[in-house]
Amino acid sequence: MSEPLTTSAELARPVAPSASVRALLDRFGMVLILPILIGAGGVISPAFVSADNLSNLLLQFAPLAIVAIGQAFVMIVRGLDLSVGSMMATAAVIATGLSGADRDVAAIFAVAFLVAVAVGLLNGFLVTKRQVSPFLATLATMILLQGFRFAYTQGAPSGNVPPLLRVFGAGKFHGIPYNALVLLVLAIVLAIVLHRSVFGRRIFIVGGNPVTARLFGIRSDLVVIACYVISSCLAAFAGLILSGYVGLVDNWVGQGYELDSIVACVVGQVSLQGGRGSILGALAGAAVIVIIANEVLLLGVPIQVQMIIKGAVIVLAAALYARRETASGG
Amino acid sequence: MTGAIGIRMEMPWWLRSHAGLAGVIVLIGVVCLVGMMVSDRFLSFNNFLNVFEQTTDLALVSIGQTLTILSGGIDLSVGSLISLTSCLTSGLINNNPDRVIPVVLAVLALGTLVGFINAGLVVVLRVHPLIVTLGMGAILQGVTLLYALGPVGRVPRSFNFLAYGRLYGLPLGATIAVLLCLLIAFVLRYLPLGRQVYALGDDANSARLVGLRRTRILMLVYGCSGFCCAATGLYLAARFGAGQPYTGVNYTLASITPVVLGGTLLSGGKGGVIGTLLGAFLIALLNNLLNFMDVSKHYQLVAQALIIILAVSVYVDRRGMA
Repeated sequence: MSEPLTTSAELARPVAPSASVRALLDRFGMVLILPILIGAGGVISPAFVSADNLSNLLLQFAPLAIVAIGQAFVMIVRGLDLSVGSMMATAAVIATGLSGADRDVAAIFAVAFLVAVAVGLLNGFLVTKRQVSPFLATLATMILLQGFRFAYTQGAPSGNVPPLLRVFGAGKFHGIPYNALVLLVLAIVLAIVLHRSVFGRRIFIVGGNPVTARLFGIRSDLVVIACYVISSCLAAFAGLILSGYVGLVDNWVGQGYELDSIVACVVGQVSLQGGRGSILGALAGAAVIVIIANEVLLLGVPIQVQMIIKGAVIVLAAALYARRETASGG
Repeated sequence: MTGAIGIRMEMPWWLRSHAGLAGVIVLIGVVCLVGMMVSDRFLSFNNFLNVFEQTTDLALVSIGQTLTILSGGIDLSVGSLISLTSCLTSGLINNNPDRVIPVVLAVLALGTLVGFINAGLVVVLRVHPLIVTLGMGAILQGVTLLYALGPVGRVPRSFNFLAYGRLYGLPLGATIAVLLCLLIAFVLRYLPLGRQVYALGDDANSARLVGLRRTRILMLVYGCSGFCCAATGLYLAARFGAGQPYTGVNYTLASITPVVLGGTLLSGGKGGVIGTLLGAFLIALLNNLLNFMDVSKHYQLVAQALIIILAVSVYVDRRGMA
């Protein structure tokens, strides 16, 4: 296996400039697609680059980006989290479970994160201690959450989202959505955790080569469990933001985000085999999805075409990535 | 470790190859026991026939899913393919009895073709089946919604026979599912191509080294899965009288549960379709029992999730010992 184990270490090491440029391209090449996509959007329809549209794009971008970051953590440790969509909906239902006044917001966050931590622990426990495949473990928790949610709401959630959460999810500050600002802070903090901390280094080692990780004395199980908890918590957070954006809640808020977040990560060059990936990549992948959806809309093409394009993009992106990996691997 | 292997060698083939079935049979027994205590009607022949009938759709789709999982892959396009085929069935037949046979054949061919395309993409693009079929699922759902945004067409009354008809007292659809399952079980056990599916799923690298033709095996496996989805689509169109564009959504992930319950390893190479059939039956039986107990539909999901968690934990333990 010539797969590089560490990424940030490799970047920090002084290497020949051409090699480092290639390494950068290999990892962040997808980011370069963004200006192209935005430029193409401007050509296709001038409305795309209007300040209004761009600020709305940011608004829709935040929830997906937050989930995608969590998904990246899990994917780097060779996992997959299918329960994120269900977690989002559960957080949203929790958001309306109380009286709907601002004084509940702290309680809402506390309960949502408590549930998220429990779900993350369960996922991580099943994957590490019981060696259940991540796909199946998170599928089971997804159904479990769905069942509890339906039982709790009796099928029809009611109640209001507190106004503060509404501001949080849909409000703008001089055209810049609050949720985008929150995302920015979150992304920077998590990027430091993943790419510049000891814990982050361990994540890459565990995902890149579990045997090495064991020989290093890293407690892989704990690292993997932590990644699932991070993913669940971010999903809960995204669910709260999304409920604020939508304004009303049903049992299916967040449906499709499990798929979209995986697509975002794959497009953003987070490896499905684990050991590779970056926060920036996940963000770029999420941006690609949101921008393509928006452009298709502006083109006046039937909305169903979005799904067809999304499906094609995920397969092609993965194919592109697989080619490069096999080419560099030998 | 060697001791465990030694014991396995001494077991007769029929026990060795069906060791995975033990779990699901025990669980069915437990459900029956509880059911006996809950209501004396639970263990009646009629109730079993009902449960058998309710197993049809899940059994059909998960039989195909078993094959893809056995080969070391997975098919996540099943839900969308079911939606598409059920919409096309009712939309194209459109209450015209003369069109039933050509449309049924065309739909089955289409399902198989989609499976072939999945396999082709996996081979040509060298992308994991998870991603290929996920993408294919999104594409097919888009196509389905382009074709119909709501319930479309109608099927003639005679076509309902597929879903509600009884043949010698047995529900027709479920009987077809069982026959299909037995046929595939036979192929998997006794024909070279069937054995190759296991070989590929157990160790793709060795399979390549001994010269197995991966493309051909994957074509068979995904083609079969596509065929089973089309059959499910036909069945659902017959049952509901019209195809709906979201009718298959839940089957994508639901189709994996019976496979796992039936003792097939998600990593491939071990298991079989008989277990899947019993797994599907177990789920229908469990839902039936919860109905008898007057448990709300919502908690049925919880129960199903708990059963999955229970089952996978137990099976993994067994593999760890072997």
